[in-house]
Amino acid sequence: MEYLLHILVICGIYSILTLSLNLVVGYTGLASLGHAAFFCVGAYISALLSLNFGLSPWIGLLLGACGAAAAGAVISVPSLRLKGDYLALATFGAGVIVYQIAKNWVSLTRGPMGLPGIPSFSIFGFALDSTWSYLILVAVLTGVTVFVLQRLVGGAYGRVLRSIRDDEIASEALGKHTDKYKLQVFVVGAFFAGIAGSLYAHYITFIDPSSFTVMESITILLMVIFGGMGSIKGSLVGATLLVIFPEMLRFLGMPSSIAAPMRQMIYGLLLVVLMIRRPKGVLGKYGFR
Amino acid sequence: MFEQLFVNGLIAGGIYALVALGFSLIYRTVKFFHFAHGIVYTAAAYVAYSLAIQLGMHFVLAFALAMLFAGILGVLIDRTVYSPLRRKNASNLIFLLASFGVFVFLQNLIQMLYGAQILSLRTGPVTEGYHVFSAVITPIQITILAVSVALMVVLWLFIMKTKLGKAMRAVSDDPIGANVVGINPEKTISLSFLIGSALAGAAGVLIALETNIEPTMGFSAILKGIIASIVGGIGNIPGAMFGGFFLGIAENLGIAWIPSGWKDAISFGILIVFLLVRPRGILGIRTEKEVL
Repeated sequence: MEYLLHILVICGIYSILTLSLNLVVGYTGLASLGHAAFFCVGAYISALLSLNFGLSPWIGLLLGACGAAAAGAVISVPSLRLKGDYLALATFGAGVIVYQIAKNWVSLTRGPMGLPGIPSFSIFGFALDSTWSYLILVAVLTGVTVFVLQRLVGGAYGRVLRSIRDDEIASEALGKHTDKYKLQVFVVGAFFAGIAGSLYAHYITFIDPSSFTVMESITILLMVIFGGMGSIKGSLVGATLLVIFPEMLRFLGMPSSIAAPMRQMIYGLLLVVLMIRRPKGVLGKYGFR
Repeated sequence: MFEQLFVNGLIAGGIYALVALGFSLIYRTVKFFHFAHGIVYTAAAYVAYSLAIQLGMHFVLAFALAMLFAGILGVLIDRTVYSPLRRKNASNLIFLLASFGVFVFLQNLIQMLYGAQILSLRTGPVTEGYHVFSAVITPIQITILAVSVALMVVLWLFIMKTKLGKAMRAVSDDPIGANVVGINPEKTISLSFLIGSALAGAAGVLIALETNIEPTMGFSAILKGIIASIVGGIGNIPGAMFGGFFLGIAENLGIAWIPSGWKDAISFGILIVFLLVRPRGILGIRTEKEVL
């Protein structure tokens, strides 16, 4: 039972990541391959604030998300000039750079040794250290993400985002400052990824750079594509299925030296098959062009 | 100190240039980022390990067979993954993502087959290097540099002097026009995958002589290959060579001031600056359509 709850918490964290990336990739059509960088920034800021300054994880959550949003603003700069695969490459590069900072700035992040003993959340003096209570917290924040995303993409604002995706020149011709929207989308997407990072850090209570590699970015993107680009339901389904599915391998009795590469192999194969057969994903209405 | 770093940069540059050359050759004909090029490099190193160490084959023969294997693997990837996408007229981004998928799949397959531990192709004892000015260069390093330069010259002659090379240039300049005059584009694409991948295979085996073999080695190699190609001017053959040596030397001289753990960050910094400021690279003439 405890294990099941744990999987659900992880599903929630990945749902937030997938939703936030979907805003950038699925709704606005900006190929971002560095989403794990924002996850990383949120996790490290939140963890370091509570470890070094004894700040409450709640403040860490907020500041971590803001830090990630600032990183999002910086990483959005290439998107103002580059498109398609070139943008993918530039954001990918940004992801590698953030990973290397986490790994090499040893005096701050302790590098590959990681940060152990991150305190968990508490509310009115009750520590949220049981998986049950944490699941509720994650579920609430996933709900908040869904709500904000729905508000954003539902109205006129969302129509502008989709117009940037479908025909950027046309939306500029209609007087929309597409650069401004791209920046905002990156900032909002990164903000929620930062929240996910903070949730992850205080839940696992240990972080090291290996959780934030570019492989992680590709996995999150795979969840977006698999569920369906530009679909909130799709992101929830995609993240949940792709978290749960590899867990099944455990029950087949595979040793972890086989199960870990096996999981990645399945992800790789799935990405190839999706690109060839159904680039829209399961529930998506729109595919990369 | 400076001379030593420069020599190290030259060796690394030779490897980067080979990877970039194969990558650029493929890019010229198909116009998308073949990221899985990096896994061809890894696979060739492992095949050479199996042949030379596990089966005890002569090294030169193992090297040639590994190159052949790499070439065939490249063609297979093109036939099974890219060819269906080409028929659907998919965008460059879809090609890139599918290529990532191939990369991840094969890297983990290799890890399952050989394990994650580090292997080595080195057999004999470590020999003492020659002293050139104040730098030390080992016989293996000289071999690496000589073989990579020789392969570059052969490739250059092939592209410029032979009929097949001319067909490849024709397809890269104007695929429809080339088709009209009777050049089969699919065959030419296969040929460029064969040659380009064999070059990556050569680079993988050569680096395995100098350092080690591990399943993740292709990742940083393809990043360097792509960056070198873009810095030199993507799709430009001399540009890829130039970019490879430029990147190798820049990275190694950078170590004089910045700790070596930052190597990848330095290269990506160079890439992002180039993408934003001069996307066509140093030797590039045409501005790519995809880049504004």
